[in-house]
Amino acid sequence: MKQFLTVLKFEIGNYFKNKSFVYTTIILALIMAGVVIIPTFFMGNSDNKADPEDDSKTVVALLDEKGILGDLEEFERLIPEYDWVNCSDERELKDAVNNDKAEAGFMILGETQYTYVVENRSMMDSIQEAFEDGLARHYRENAFGAMGIDAESVEALYNTPIESDTMILGKDSAKNYMYTYVLVFVMYLMVIFYGQMIATSVTSEKSNRAIEILVTSVNSNSLIFGKVLAGAISSIIQGGVILGAGIVSYNAFRGAWNNQLDFLFDIPTDVWLTFILFGILGYLLYAFIFGMLGALVSKTEDISKSSTPITLIYVAAFIIAIVGMNSPDSVMMKVASFIPFTSCNCMFIRVAMGSVSAVEVVISALILMISCVFTGFLAAKVFRFGTLMYGNPIKFTNALKKIREK
Amino acid sequence: MRLEVKNIRKSFGDKEVLHGISFAVESGSALGLLGRNGAGKTTTIRILMDVFKGDEGQVLLDGVRFNPKKLGIGYLPEERGLYPKKKVGEQIIYLAQLRGMGPKEAKESMKKWLARLEVSEYENRQLETLSKGNQQKVQLAQTLVCNPQIIILDEPFSGLDPVNSQVLKDVILEEIQNGKLVIFSSHQMSYVEEFCKDIIIINKGNTVLSGDLRNIKREYGKNRLVLSVSDMGHSELRRIADEKFGHLITVYGNNKEQLILEMKPGATKQAIMVALIESGLDVETFGSYQPSLNDIFVERAGD
Repeated sequence: MKQFLTVLKFEIGNYFKNKSFVYTTIILALIMAGVVIIPTFFMGNSDNKADPEDDSKTVVALLDEKGILGDLEEFERLIPEYDWVNCSDERELKDAVNNDKAEAGFMILGETQYTYVVENRSMMDSIQEAFEDGLARHYRENAFGAMGIDAESVEALYNTPIESDTMILGKDSAKNYMYTYVLVFVMYLMVIFYGQMIATSVTSEKSNRAIEILVTSVNSNSLIFGKVLAGAISSIIQGGVILGAGIVSYNAFRGAWNNQLDFLFDIPTDVWLTFILFGILGYLLYAFIFGMLGALVSKTEDISKSSTPITLIYVAAFIIAIVGMNSPDSVMMKVASFIPFTSCNCMFIRVAMGSVSAVEVVISALILMISCVFTGFLAAKVFRFGTLMYGNPIKFTNALKKIREK
Repeated sequence: MRLEVKNIRKSFGDKEVLHGISFAVESGSALGLLGRNGAGKTTTIRILMDVFKGDEGQVLLDGVRFNPKKLGIGYLPEERGLYPKKKVGEQIIYLAQLRGMGPKEAKESMKKWLARLEVSEYENRQLETLSKGNQQKVQLAQTLVCNPQIIILDEPFSGLDPVNSQVLKDVILEEIQNGKLVIFSSHQMSYVEEFCKDIIIINKGNTVLSGDLRNIKREYGKNRLVLSVSDMGHSELRRIADEKFGHLITVYGNNKEQLILEMKPGATKQAIMVALIESGLDVETFGSYQPSLNDIFVERAGD
C-alpha cells in the first residue's frame, strides 16, 4: 500500500509538473468560460436595438408573365417578410438573382404552380416555404371568394390557437436529451483522449528501460494501479476543471442568458451522481485496458496500433449509447446497461432518460466495479509478463495463454 | 549473510540457456561473475533478482528463499535506464522510497551518494542532459541510495573513463569493507581480480570454473614456469627449449613476453635451472607462472 501511494504520488506529480498539461487545462478552462460568458455581451446589445424596421429585408424577385395572380401588390402583402422586385421577363429575373439584387426568384406558371430560381441553395433555405404558404393562401382566398365565402373568417378559423399544458410523470426526454448527450460525449472524449496517455505512461518505463529497476523494487500491482489511477485522477481533475469552468460561469451569467442554456446545465443531482459513479468506473475500466495494452508493447510508437481494438470497442459502445438514447427503455439498452463495456454510458442514460430501479443501478455498478478490479490485476500480470519482452509487440492472446500456463 | 544460488536452469522457448548454475557469496566479500557475451550472466542475475523465474533450482539467503523486493537490494541492471525527463534528485528519491525509505531519509541519502560520486551539481538537472558517464554515475547513486546489504552490479564499469572507474572502484571496495555482499559481472578482468575473493566463469550456460580466485590461480600456476631470453623471439626460444630441455619440460604456450613451460613429472626447478645455465642462454626472466585472470578466462571460456 505504501509503495502504491509512492507510485501514485510520483505519477500524479509527473502530470502536474508537466507544463503543457497544466497550460492545456488552464487554456481549455478559459475557452470554456469564454464560450459561456462572451455571448452574453452581444445579447445585451441586441436587446437595445430591437427595432425590426431597421433590418433590411431579404429581396425576392417575382415574375408573373401571364398575370395569373392579378394584383401583384395585393399578393405581395400576403408575404410581408420580403421586399419584392417585379420582373418583366425570365432573363431579368435570372439576372436579378445572379447579380445578387435578389436572394431568389419565383416564376408563376399557374395558380398553384411556380418555378423557384436561386443561385446557391443553402441547407436552411426558408424562402420557398414562405412563398408557398403565401401562394396557397392567395389561392384559397380566391377560391373562397368564388364560392362566396368570406376568406378572412375561414383563415381565422384555421389559425385558432390551441392552449395546452404538459404534465410529465416520468422523465422529460426532450429536456434531458441535450445534457445527457453532452455528458455521454464528454465520457467519449475522456476515454479516447486520455486512454492513449495512460497507455503511454505504462509503456514509457519499458521504452526508457527503467523497468528492470522498477520491477525489482516494487510490486507490479502497486505499479500498474498507481500509474493507471494517477492517469485517471489527473485526467478527471483536468476534465473537471474544464467542465467546472463552464458550469460556474453559466451560474454566474445565468441571468444574462435568460436561462436559455438550462437544457445543458440544469442537471438534476441524481443524474450527476450516476454520471460521476458510472463515468469514473467505466473510465477506470477502459483506463486499465489501455494500461494493459501499454504493457504489451515496448515502444511508445507501437501504442496506437495495439490500442486500436479497444478504441473500436469504445466507439461501438458510444454508438450503442447514442442510438439507445432514442429509446432508453428498450431491451437493447437494458442488456447494454449491465455489460461492463457499455454500462458506463447506458446505465447513465437509463437513469437520466428512462425508468430504472435502484437495485438495477447497484447491480450494474457492482458488475462494473468487479470488472475494473479484475482488469487491473490482469493488467498487472500482463505487465509483469511483458516486462522484459523487448522488440515486437506481444499479442494479447499469447500473453493470456502464458499467464494461464503459470 | 550467505547468498546461495543452487542449480539454476532456464529455457527460453525450446532453448535451454542455463544448464544448472550454482554459486555462493558471503557478506563482506565479492563474487565475480564472468563469461563471454551471451554466456548467461545477465540471465543468471535476472533470475537472482526475480525479474523472471528460473525453470529449476533455487536462490537462498541464509537457507531461506530469497526475496529481493523485501530486502531493498542495490541492483544495477545491464539495461541501464531511468527517467530521462525527470530531475536526477527527484527520481533517486522516488526509487529509494519504493525500496522502503522515508522521504527525508531518502533525500539525505540521495545527497550523500551524489556527493560521493561527484555528481552533486546535477541534482536538479534533467537526466537526459547529462553525459553518458554521468548518467552512469547517477545510476550507481540510485543503486546504492537505499544502503543495501546486497549489491548486484551488472557490468558497472562500462562507459566510465579511467578517473570515474577509479571513483567507482573505491566505492565498491568501501562497500565490501563495510561488510556488504557484492556480486558483479564484468568483462574487465583487472577489476574482478582487484575486488573478488571468489569467481565463477560461465560458458554457454555451464559453470566452467568456480571457487576462490587465489586458489584457482595457484592451481593454475602449479608446475608451470615462465622463461624469456634476451633478443630471442618466441618461435626460436620454443625450438631451443624443445631441443635442449625436452626431457624436463613441454612448452605450454606463451604470453606477450614469455614462454610458458610445464614441468614434466619428476622434473624439478633446480634441474631446469642447471640445464639453463649449462645451455649458456642469456636468460632474462625465469620463475613461477602467475596466471592472470585474463589468461584463465581465455582458456576456459574460449572455444
